[in-house]
Amino acid sequence: MTTSTSTPDGDLGSQLRDALRSTDPALSRFNPLRRILAHDDFNSGLHGWVELGGNYNGRGDYDSLDRHFRDFRPPQLSSCDFFDVGTHGAMSGTYALKLATRPHPGHTATAIRRLTMSGRGLLQIEAYLAYKAEATVGPDAVDGFGDMAWDGNQHPSEAQFGAFTVATDLCGDGGLRYHTVARYQNADAEGRMRRQWMYPVVPEPTPREHYEGKVDHPYAADFTAPNPEDWRAYGDPQELCMNEVPTKVNWHYLRWVIDTDARRNVELQLNDRTMDWSHVPVPPYEERYGSLENLLNFYFSVRTLSGQRNFLYLDSVVISADW
Amino acid sequence: MRESQTAVLERGIRVEDEFATEPFEVAWAGEARWFVQFLEPGEEATVTLTPQVSADGLAWVDHEAPAVKAAASGVITLPLRDFGHWLRLVVQRSGGRTAPLARIYLALKE
Repeated sequence: MTTSTSTPDGDLGSQLRDALRSTDPALSRFNPLRRILAHDDFNSGLHGWVELGGNYNGRGDYDSLDRHFRDFRPPQLSSCDFFDVGTHGAMSGTYALKLATRPHPGHTATAIRRLTMSGRGLLQIEAYLAYKAEATVGPDAVDGFGDMAWDGNQHPSEAQFGAFTVATDLCGDGGLRYHTVARYQNADAEGRMRRQWMYPVVPEPTPREHYEGKVDHPYAADFTAPNPEDWRAYGDPQELCMNEVPTKVNWHYLRWVIDTDARRNVELQLNDRTMDWSHVPVPPYEERYGSLENLLNFYFSVRTLSGQRNFLYLDSVVISADW
Repeated sequence: MRESQTAVLERGIRVEDEFATEPFEVAWAGEARWFVQFLEPGEEATVTLTPQVSADGLAWVDHEAPAVKAAASGVITLPLRDFGHWLRLVVQRSGGRTAPLARIYLALKE
């Protein structure tokens, strides 16, 4: 199952790079490919991570935005403040990038990083992330949700977190556009625990398809792939470390490799589980797109299904390539 | 260089009667300014903008800065200093026959 794409190949250059990186506290926690395109530590700002905004017409009319693209929320520089402990802080320093949904079932928050490709080959994103549902306080809050009831160990907020997603938007070679997508589906709308890696088998609906009258999705639709039947489960469930209550933040290591030469997935790692994703399909758009040559976008998203605000925290992110 | 961020808290909201913007973490910022821009004005409508602060993003209280009341057209702005680590803006409309359409920015700086 496990493929190896990022381990040292044994040559002197790789050994030197590994040795130098191991002395750097900020980078030694990562395992980047040869060329680091971005190292984003959110103690020093947003580093270009921004709300995914939909396309709009030449007048900037609000009505020209797709309804399900209008409200992906601005990312926040969060000190991970909570009612019970005050400032939790990030894995490094005080600040993390926080994506926060509205308290609305199905609502998604996003942050996207926009680059272009100066080559083709392996492309990797690594991140230290944590996910939470918003804490609840007061006598009106529920003490159980779906599969989770408060028992001194488990907490209803664990079942109130829907999903987080890491994905790309890539285009090149004459407008051939495609997405690679990996989603961790934590729980469903009823709070039944899924803990399942998922991928879509269709490309994401685009504003051009809406403009052409081919699609029209409502507010809070799943913008990555609106039809639940277009999603497939990958492998067995994986249990992560939500850590009992919504105000303890444990950082998870994510590493995801794709191949922009072959336009395919390669492998996905979350903590101690490395998964072969080479057989996971990457359906391109049938029609070509203009204005996007060598497009290289990564995005993270978080989606609440319970209607409780859901948060995805990113301590730091590294994007690297072998070209 | 000082860090800064402009967050679009509402990209196009109909101001029916009263609402509060989503909680926003601003621990790193020393100064803030709200901008409320009316994309479609509300004829004969006025709005009252009340800045609120919070220590935890859950319990909210009015900031000491006075609320701003103005006609629901053009751009209304409200500066803030000495806030806690969370901000939101309460917008109340009075009068007018139609709900104005608003965009709301929060401009933050170290």
